[in-house]
Amino acid sequence: METLHIDGTDRTPTLLFEFDANRYLLSGESYPEDVSEFYGGLLGQLSDHLNGLQGATVQFDFNFIYFNSSTAKVVMRLFELLEQTAARGNRVTVNWHHEEGDDNMREMGGEFSEDLHQAHFNLLSKPG
Amino acid sequence: MHAHELLPFRNGLTDQGIILCYNGCITEEILTGIGATIKHKMAVRKADKQVAKGLFSLFVEQMQNVIRYSVEKESGPLPDGSVLTLRHGLLVVGMESDRYFVACGNMVDKKDVATLHKNLNHIKSLDQDGLRELFRTTLKGETPAGSLGAGVGFIDIARRATRGFEFDFTDVNDGLTYFSIKAYI
Repeated sequence: METLHIDGTDRTPTLLFEFDANRYLLSGESYPEDVSEFYGGLLGQLSDHLNGLQGATVQFDFNFIYFNSSTAKVVMRLFELLEQTAARGNRVTVNWHHEEGDDNMREMGGEFSEDLHQAHFNLLSKPG
Repeated sequence: MHAHELLPFRNGLTDQGIILCYNGCITEEILTGIGATIKHKMAVRKADKQVAKGLFSLFVEQMQNVIRYSVEKESGPLPDGSVLTLRHGLLVVGMESDRYFVACGNMVDKKDVATLHKNLNHIKSLDQDGLRELFRTTLKGETPAGSLGAGVGFIDIARRATRGFEFDFTDVNDGLTYFSIKAYI
């Protein structure tokens, strides 16, 4: 499946979905005008792909600077999807990057990760 | 308004610690533009980075709230045939003693006030753990009827408003009430 690459804007994240390598990245800002319009189709594509995996190694990196509450709902869905993928016998790693000192972003990652049991979760701090 | 009227108006705003004030159509373009300006302003003031981020977040949630729910609006066709709806609101960003704040005001339907009041009172009564739990269950649940976003905007505001938040209603006429929320960080 072809790699999906969308450059970030002031209000939407850089998105890199390497389906063949099963490496996925969301990075930057996320407070789109219409969350469903930006994420809806992408989530569907990702979900279709992940649902067909067996015995694969999957890595998803969240590297947000800021995301709004509507995006939080999308992030929660992504975590659910990744957990389901892990539960079906895939090795799934979720990396949550946050700037040093950004307690809010760190805590958000911790909260979302409470639903992960089969998927591995890493909180990764980077210099602010 | 001329200079001799604008100056006292301007001084009145400044005296109240108001850094920035906007009244009128609140659009996505306004959100983007003022949002960038707030970031720059906070950088120039050498504000704490996390305070600046928090303030920006309070701003985004409140502005999106006005864009989605203000009932004071005007609609009209664009040259391409589509219909544009512009919603009105009032934004104030300022500082009171050592707290920054973001406040927004907009018209709501009087019939929606009771529910809004109840929801906000509930959110206000919760501590950080309670807010965290409500945020989580709301994200997991179905979007409430009539909500265009995730329905978690006010909870997010309460979580980010480390120095508290206030809300208020004042009746305008039989059908309309003016609503405001002011969040401190």
